[in-house]
Amino acid sequence: MNVANDMSFFSLVSGASLPVQIVMIILLITSLFSWWYIFIKVFTIKNASKDAEQFEASFWSGGDLNKLYDGLSTGRRKSQGMASIFEAGFKEFVRHKQQGRMEVSDVMEGTRRAMRAAYNRELDNLDAHLPFLASVGSVSPYIGLFGTVWGIMNAFRGLSNVAQATLSQVAPGIAEALVATAIGLFAAIPAVIAYNRFASSVDRLSVRYESFMEEFTNILQRRI
Amino acid sequence: MIRKHESDVSWKAGLLAFAVHGVLFVAMVLSINWKAAHPPMNITEVELWEQLPNKSVPKPVEIKEPPKPIVQEVPKPEPKPEPKPEPVQEKPEPQPPKVDIELEQKKKAAEQKKLLEEKKEEKKKAEIEKLKKEMREEELRQEKTAEQAEQKKLKDLQALMRDDKPSAAQQASSVSPSVIGEYTEKIKAKIRGNVNKTLCGDGNPELRFDIGVLPTGELSGTPKLVKSSGNATCDEAVERAIIASEPFPLPEDTAAKAQFRNLKLKFKPNGE
Repeated sequence: MNVANDMSFFSLVSGASLPVQIVMIILLITSLFSWWYIFIKVFTIKNASKDAEQFEASFWSGGDLNKLYDGLSTGRRKSQGMASIFEAGFKEFVRHKQQGRMEVSDVMEGTRRAMRAAYNRELDNLDAHLPFLASVGSVSPYIGLFGTVWGIMNAFRGLSNVAQATLSQVAPGIAEALVATAIGLFAAIPAVIAYNRFASSVDRLSVRYESFMEEFTNILQRRI
Repeated sequence: MIRKHESDVSWKAGLLAFAVHGVLFVAMVLSINWKAAHPPMNITEVELWEQLPNKSVPKPVEIKEPPKPIVQEVPKPEPKPEPKPEPVQEKPEPQPPKVDIELEQKKKAAEQKKLLEEKKEEKKKAEIEKLKKEMREEELRQEKTAEQAEQKKLKDLQALMRDDKPSAAQQASSVSPSVIGEYTEKIKAKIRGNVNKTLCGDGNPELRFDIGVLPTGELSGTPKLVKSSGNATCDEAVERAIIASEPFPLPEDTAAKAQFRNLKLKFKPNGE
């Protein structure tokens, strides 16, 4: 076995055995996806909270709700977040009102159901990709560990053919194998941090949406 | 995979994800310079000898007790030179008396002869004594030179033990048996290191192999078993060890290397 003078990162990856290399590739792809989702979530959650703030500001500014609704429904972009909840609730309320001769409780019940449905859709969008990040965070260290164990097994198997075992015969194999664990941890740590952060952000947003729903329901009830 | 509302940011996010990996990769390759963790290795080759080569063993003994060999060597050379001069001087002795006896049978002649004989005997004794003295002196000189030569050799060998190459070249100029013995011992030691001794049992069987070592240190053919140890697995183990021991250690000198072309190896796997 050649004494490994060259222990650069490239030689470590290229010198690893095939299963270890496959593990490395899987982990690299996983890491790329998890980072992609992390950035997507960063942007979407930031946008959602910004939109919620903007909508709350315009909603509580005391303007006409009909005007607000027209502005949203004629807008080019499909309304998101709090705006879409408002849109769904207000549309349902107006429809019931136009039909007339309906009980107040029925109107409010229908409006609430429409808003609840919109809220669930929004929450589903906010929660998107979080399960993926959670599984990357918990599984990729194990995948990396599998690659490492496999590589170390090979390194020690190679040692059995040698009469005088030295550290330099095992060291390259172990170093190659440990790269797999390093990549696994690199994929897992940001995923776990991001998951926890996004979960709390989504919770806060959902609480915000729910409280808006309650308040809007009260406002509509007063208008009947 | 991607929700509708996310399609706006997906490209941006993808690029950022690649950027993060690129940064990390560059940091790993550059800042963690794993080559620097390996200082240039000084490879030193160490040959482990279980026993010292034949020549080096007796000589230290001679250093410690120099008078003994002198005492032993003195009686040995004496008888050898003595017989040579004696017959040369004895031959003239009988001739003159014969001539005397043939020419005259008188008492005068006998007396003269006796006188002559006495004189000659005296001369002869003196000559013998002189010769003996000379012989002794010569012997002493020879002893001294021999001692000096031996000490020189010893110094050479000690130097050789210290650093192989220069003195090895000097010594091998005349292919001395000491060099061959030394390297045969080295070869044996190397083979012994490769033998799986458990296959040869507890006893100490002796094997004989005919092997041919090329000047490059490689085997010229398969080793030929001349005398078996009586245990086939042991024979095979030793044969494998011989093949595994390539290249064999050889002296620098080409003439000395030629001596190893047909090497008759007596080998004991468990040591001498």
